[in-house]
Amino acid sequence: MKNNIKVERAKQNITQAELAIRVEVSRQTINAMEAGKYVPSTVLALKLAKIFKVEVSELFQLEASDWK
Amino acid sequence: MQTHFLFPNRYKRIGALIFFPTIILGLFSLIFNWEPDWLNGKLPGLFTSDIFSNKSTFTMVETNLLNEILGLLTIVGGILFGFSKENEEDEFIRQIRTESLVWAIYVNYGVLAIAMLFFFDFAFLWVMIFNLFTPLLFFIIRFRWSLAQLKNPSYEE
Repeated sequence: MKNNIKVERAKQNITQAELAIRVEVSRQTINAMEAGKYVPSTVLALKLAKIFKVEVSELFQLEASDWK
Repeated sequence: MQTHFLFPNRYKRIGALIFFPTIILGLFSLIFNWEPDWLNGKLPGLFTSDIFSNKSTFTMVETNLLNEILGLLTIVGGILFGFSKENEEDEFIRQIRTESLVWAIYVNYGVLAIAMLFFFDFAFLWVMIFNLFTPLLFFIIRFRWSLAQLKNPSYEE
């Protein structure tokens, strides 16, 4: 699964640490999601979308490898 | 919300303070057969079987209490240290904890399977004694190591 967390974060000019506090996870979790090493839960995905004021589907996209 | 079966974060430190000294003391007492006389006592035995296969039920058993004390402290300390919430507990850390637990069970039984083939009689008794505590120990080592990797600067972009 791909995500635009880093892009959205840059648009809004907030750091990983600030975003981590706002969605109540550790900064390492934000880092792992941006690096594609962690797929967040639905709840966390919805929280991120709400903070960036975008739809979840704008923030996260399925890839071909997700269907295997 | 979901139940995660974890203790509050404050128990983590208490767990560490119990677990590590107890493991060291336990190894010391095993290796040097150290059993201080003042810890000799009696415990109610539900079922007892000695090395000559004499079996008895519901008797008071004379024993050195050090093993029992250290064993219980290792379990309590290890559980508290391994299963207390992290300072910044979140779903990613819970995933790492679960993966570490799976890994620890595989490694534990892998080691045990090999030991079954190569250790016999009293040597295997030693393996069994260690194996009482290695699932917790392997889990704790792997979990702490994984968390340390996250904070390692080389992991960052």
